[in-house]
Amino acid sequence: MLSWSGTEQGIEIDLTTVQAATGGIGVSFAKQLVDFATAATEFDLTALAKSRDQLISVAGVATTIDTAAVIANFEMMTRLADSTGARMQTEVVADRLVVAQAMGVDKVVSRR
Amino acid sequence: MRISLSDVRQDLVLAHEQAWSALSEPGTWWSGAQRRELAQTALLAVTEVEPLPPWVAVSTVEGKISASTVASSSAHDVVYRIARHASTLTKEWYERVTQEIDPLAFVELCGIVCTVATVVAFRRALDLELPELSAAKTGEPSHHKPDNIVDATLNWVPVVAPADENAAVVQAFTAVPQTNRVIWAMADAQYIPDKEMVDPHWTRGTLTRVQMELVATRVSQQRECFY
Repeated sequence: MLSWSGTEQGIEIDLTTVQAATGGIGVSFAKQLVDFATAATEFDLTALAKSRDQLISVAGVATTIDTAAVIANFEMMTRLADSTGARMQTEVVADRLVVAQAMGVDKVVSRR
Repeated sequence: MRISLSDVRQDLVLAHEQAWSALSEPGTWWSGAQRRELAQTALLAVTEVEPLPPWVAVSTVEGKISASTVASSSAHDVVYRIARHASTLTKEWYERVTQEIDPLAFVELCGIVCTVATVVAFRRALDLELPELSAAKTGEPSHHKPDNIVDATLNWVPVVAPADENAAVVQAFTAVPQTNRVIWAMADAQYIPDKEMVDPHWTRGTLTRVQMELVATRVSQQRECFY
């Protein structure tokens, strides 16, 4: 979806920068968004507060709230997918293998 | 700068309130008391800084959950495992646990975990206090079972026919409509309304679609979710 939405908007996405959490891609506030998403999925409250403040400072409160909402949604959807054994059609997996490799998720247990 | 609950969009507040309240109400296969208790176990799982490893059942560790639970210990074990170690689940695990827990009751357990995980994640990300779980409401589970439940190729769990015409995540909870409604009401408010999903330019005026997908991708990668 990231690659697709980027392509549709004429933005080239380097997925390895998402994996590395460097956020160096052509998306506005990419680094702050990735830092916030990373901190929100870990347990370092100091890092979380810092990343939240940084996102608020560049993008504002409403955008930060909507970012938290997307984070929350994917904390939900990843559990939904993994607990119900959700998988993609074989041909879709083949199409997306390059993306999965770039993201470093091609060998995870949840690949099925 | 502190963010307060009054800064949050009302549709999002409402979706979370409805889902959170439902955790203490009778469901389709579990009572209000059971659902509330299982939600507490999910809460423990997603908030523990030092979690149990995936191969340790929470019910076997003294002091983690009540010694006299109203839901079965296997249900608590399933909830903890999904809540904290979802990426480690296998089909063999699913087949083992559904020998003890009916597959539709299992789907409802997944929905309880999803609700807890999403509300906790949102509140925690914004440093907002977690809501208390309401007292359990009395009443029996509805045991409502749609007529047209079938096995799916794209999910372990059974789904409403026709199977595999929609994405696996979309059909995953359809066999328990009450759970399905709650989860997708939150997804609409948190991410993108269903009817807008195909529009790469859709926005609420804050995040662009590509920014949303960047965040979604990072969370999925952190959770090692291949899907």
